Amino acid sequence: MEEVKALGIDVGSTTVKLTAVDAQGKLIWHHLEGADPRVEDQVDHFFNLMREHGFDGKELPMVATGYGRNLVEQAEKKVTEITCHATGVYNQLGHGGTLVDIGGQDSKVIIIGENSQVVDFAMNDKCAAGTGRFLENTAGRLRVPLDRMGVEALSAAEEVAISSTCTVFAESEIISMIAHGVEVNPILKGLHRSLILRIVAMIRSVGLVPPLMLSGGVVKNPAIREMITQELGEQVTMPEYPQLMGAYGAALIALKNSNRA
Amino acid sequence: MELPAIPNRIETITAFKQNSGMIAAVLPIHYPRSLFRAFDVLPVEVWGPPGTDVSHGGAHLQPYVCSIVHNALSFLKKGGLDLADFIAVPHTCDSLQGFGSILLDFVKPKQSIFPLYLPRGNRPEDLRFLTEEFRQLYRHLSGLTGKKPSEEILLRCIRREEKADDLLRQLYEKRQKVSLSNYSFYHLVRTREYLPAETFISIAEKVLSRKGFDNPKGTAIILSGIVPEPMEVLTTITELGAAVVADDLACCGRRLYASGKSEQPFRRMAERILNAPPDPTRGNSLEERKQYLLRLADQTDARGVVFYDVKFCEPELFDLPRLRAKLKAAGLPSVQIEIDLNDPLSNQIVTRIGAFLEILG
Ligand code: SF4
Repeated sequence: MEEVKALGIDVGSTTVKLTAVDAQGKLIWHHLEGADPRVEDQVDHFFNLMREHGFDGKELPMVATGYGRNLVEQAEKKVTEITCHATGVYNQLGHGGTLVDIGGQDSKVIIIGENSQVVDFAMNDKCAAGTGRFLENTAGRLRVPLDRMGVEALSAAEEVAISSTCTVFAESEIISMIAHGVEVNPILKGLHRSLILRIVAMIRSVGLVPPLMLSGGVVKNPAIREMITQELGEQVTMPEYPQLMGAYGAALIALKNSNRA
Repeated sequence: MELPAIPNRIETITAFKQNSGMIAAVLPIHYPRSLFRAFDVLPVEVWGPPGTDVSHGGAHLQPYVCSIVHNALSFLKKGGLDLADFIAVPHTCDSLQGFGSILLDFVKPKQSIFPLYLPRGNRPEDLRFLTEEFRQLYRHLSGLTGKKPSEEILLRCIRREEKADDLLRQLYEKRQKVSLSNYSFYHLVRTREYLPAETFISIAEKVLSRKGFDNPKGTAIILSGIVPEPMEVLTTITELGAAVVADDLACCGRRLYASGKSEQPFRRMAERILNAPPDPTRGNSLEERKQYLLRLADQTDARGVVFYDVKFCEPELFDLPRLRAKLKAAGLPSVQIEIDLNDPLSNQIVTRIGAFLEILG
């Protein structure tokens, strides 16, 4: 493995991601696991992992991002997920545009300028509507594995309208549909549509600047990609590791800061 | 630097009543303080208050009414306004207009209710209307208190409020030099919501006479919206590396009333309110608001505006998309935050403000 020069950690609400970059800013190592409420313990465990992989993280510049960023004492700087995602995606894809990041418990739309700077952004409100949690909750109710949801939804010829964007209300709506004998896949398709319409409203609130880019764990779901394209009439592009872009951006900022020092 | 000792709302109300004064609980935003004081009535403003159990008033209000009105009604119903002798409800917006009607028609509190109609413009007929509205309020207060303060007393009270407002303006002008944190500055400024003018004057004079002022550190921003609650947001802004160098808040900067000109007291009170900085609840146009914010930014070197609004605030939110677009086109970036008075400062809000400051660089 090339020599690690900087680290980025994204302490999200559902997962924690750590990335390592070399002197050129290439992503050379990463680790992802479910979020532990004891953030400090989890970070210690990450440092042990790094040692096992042959490098000492404590000696390296590190930037933290994500909702738990302020709990990462070892990080020399804390930067918001907005700036980190923009930095990460810009470096991976090489251009600006509109980035839609759909995470487990929050989603955001970021307009990235020609020099990777954030021009504007919108974030979902504090509820789970418009986030991965919306699908996760309802998937549980329908007994469909999360990683099959998108494929199943796309396979449905019919689609039922889910009027609720609220996770809790959507769940009751689904229960009543099942009770009325509605098939699972059309419900799934309607659920994806409901989430996408929420995201599209957020995109419109800041104004779409093509090209459209996607990141976040949820965009691995093919129905999300296809429906966003349908709604906006824009093709989407994705980085190789959509879930790591916050942590990768953080590592790039740490690298840049250390070069400047 | 610390603030001088400042009495809180309850201490102020108790002391005022002990001197045989009366209390008017006043809802936001504009009203003539001096008119109440001429009757020995202290106006104490009710901006919610934050963190109220809203179950007491919830049955009377739609869920899409803002938390200022929800909280005020619940606060009243559970006895929070019992110390007040009167309740004044300016017709600031549909929500407060509804609040006034609910009090008059259904809740019927023991206190007398004064609705206060405000014109939506600054034309000669608006001035005539508001002058007449204040005469009407005078008659109302006179009937309830049995007092008939003379024109001379009215003018004396107006001049005292004008002095307090002039000191308030000086605090704003010197805020970049006054070594008070964002939090302490707004703690001081917001005492205008309940302190008698004379108490505010003595505190403001002490602060303004201090020597050895520092310049503020961090990215300069303007705070716009209704009310900076929870006040902790001001400390967070400091921690994120920014300084609030000016504001366009309904409870603060939009009430930097200049002195009136007329020697006729009711007209002078009306002039003061109508000539206040632009405010959507008084019908100012988007262009006036834009120009005002750009001028503020120019005068204070502010790099951006944080619109910090109460959720469901119709006068604010109606203007906001177009106002923000106009400011953006003029080179002044902004971010929009929506709050509920009963929620703690959320991580999302901190991230939004933090990300906006990162954009400003
Ligand atoms: S927050 Fe807005 S809607 Fe609520 S009382 Fe104030 S002006 Fe009216």
